[in-house]
Amino acid sequence: MTSHDVTLEWPDGRTRTIAVREDETVLEAAERVGIALPFGCRTGACGTCTGRLLEAEGTEPGDGAGNSGGVDIEAAFAHRRPPRAFKDRHREDGYVLLCIASPRTSCRIAVGSSVHTELMENPWK
Amino acid sequence: MSDVSTPEGVEPEHDHEHHHDHEGPGYATPQAAIEESEREKLAYVMSLYVGTDVDAPDFVSVVDLDPDSDTYCEIVDRIELPNRGDELHHFGWNACSSSCHMEGLERRHLIVPGQRSSRIHVIDAADRRNPELETVIEPEEVFEHDLSAPHTVHCIPDGKILISMLGDADGELPGGFLELNDDFEIEGRWEPPGEIEMNYDYWYQPRQNVMVSSEWAAPKTYYPGFDLEDVEAGNYGQRLHFWDWEDGTVEQTIDLGEEGLIPLEVRFLHTPESTHGFVGAALSSNVFHFWRDDDAGEYRAEKVIDFESREHDDWDMPVPALPTDILISMDDRYLFGSNWLHGEVWMYDVSDPSNPRRADSLSVGGTFGEIQEVQGRELAAGPQMVQLSLDGERLYWTTSLFSSWDEQFYPEEGERGSVMLKADVDPRKGTMELDEDFLVDWGECPEGPARAHEIRWPDGDCTSDVWQ
Repeated sequence: MTSHDVTLEWPDGRTRTIAVREDETVLEAAERVGIALPFGCRTGACGTCTGRLLEAEGTEPGDGAGNSGGVDIEAAFAHRRPPRAFKDRHREDGYVLLCIASPRTSCRIAVGSSVHTELMENPWK
Repeated sequence: MSDVSTPEGVEPEHDHEHHHDHEGPGYATPQAAIEESEREKLAYVMSLYVGTDVDAPDFVSVVDLDPDSDTYCEIVDRIELPNRGDELHHFGWNACSSSCHMEGLERRHLIVPGQRSSRIHVIDAADRRNPELETVIEPEEVFEHDLSAPHTVHCIPDGKILISMLGDADGELPGGFLELNDDFEIEGRWEPPGEIEMNYDYWYQPRQNVMVSSEWAAPKTYYPGFDLEDVEAGNYGQRLHFWDWEDGTVEQTIDLGEEGLIPLEVRFLHTPESTHGFVGAALSSNVFHFWRDDDAGEYRAEKVIDFESREHDDWDMPVPALPTDILISMDDRYLFGSNWLHGEVWMYDVSDPSNPRRADSLSVGGTFGEIQEVQGRELAAGPQMVQLSLDGERLYWTTSLFSSWDEQFYPEEGERGSVMLKADVDPRKGTMELDEDFLVDWGECPEGPARAHEIRWPDGDCTSDVWQ
């Protein structure tokens, strides 16, 4: 089974690169090698495991029209199920649900609980 | 495993003279609960790490509430659960006073669901200070019934357990109710699927053959956090459903309108004859009174408390109060609640439930609280889940709402952890006073700061006991 190098980058600067098979999710691969990532429902509904795609091999800036990093989330990952936790704007901004997403190319992802907190802001402040 | 068949070796619930036909758990009447209960000496508190970078599962805290104890205000035991990612939220007992005539049944097992994981834990609390995890119902077993996101747990008479479920197996609508048998196995769905769309909290009044349920939203809507776009799109609830308790079917639905947005905790009065109750509409910052109009043969609901939004220099828009939790004292005289964003706990005299009278309030924590630290410990959020002693003289609260919502409104709650605070209540005068000697701090947990949510006493409390 084909695997891809997925580099996980935490806000504190720590990075780990793991080989993720195309038939497993990033969360499953991380658990397999003993790396703790945040997660909740494991069905794509809660967003707790949210990562943000920083760079994907084979995609040029501008490939994914509208997404901020210029990387195409749909080309980089296959989702097992619909990412229900996301609004359209989240997908366009390059967010990925690591509990249901399997890589299709090597990539770098921002991970850690703070990525999830970027999804929603205080609407009154 | 059934609590009906293994009563031996368990501490008695209370050592009073038993009522003539009182053989089971709890108390014969609400008044008996007030008179016969001892002061609460332990609390069980939902404690969580979900959504943080702490690599540890959520846990149940056992908190020492005995002022004469050397470990007063400390977390004296932690029941760690086997998996990360649960988001412990609400929980309940396998049996309560609704089964007080069930000989041999005991209030012994805590049913502790994971809101995000849909995993259901059964904890044996026969040893009140050192409960042990006994059984785990895995999410896949729950999903088989096309349900997810377990919320309110009530025992129902005869040893069965009913859990409100907020979504289907995919985290979408409709939600429903899951029934467990007295061996803690899934019995199936309690109601015919599709009676309701949204679900949240519920309460039942068996003598009136009625259950009432409220509405939050689909799990996929509230899990990631609060988004005003979802309010505009109608993705948040504003209805109450009144059920035929025996048939498990909805008899009547009341749309509370824009003033009833996000009706969360819903409580009937404790008196089993009563058809009166209250529900807090969190987003609209209102409390509704509901009651059965016997002449019309149906339930009615009316807004009776309205918390005004307040201007704050650091906020772009007026800050809503967000009353996220309410409870009714065991004598049905007072309604207590919390305004999480404003930073307030309040008590209203509801002797006349149609006309609540503000008795007292405390301004503590939150955005506007006059008291922003206790014992030098800064408060990171406002009062949230409340619990009252059975005698109505001590009100306790924690400060976390829901991990992803905490992050939006009080990001420091995750960094510092939650606290549990207490007010001394004078029910005769209708006053509250913050007990500054009382502080339980989840910021000092060994693996890192944790959040704290719902509170229960070992021998029944004002938010779980029902009388048949």
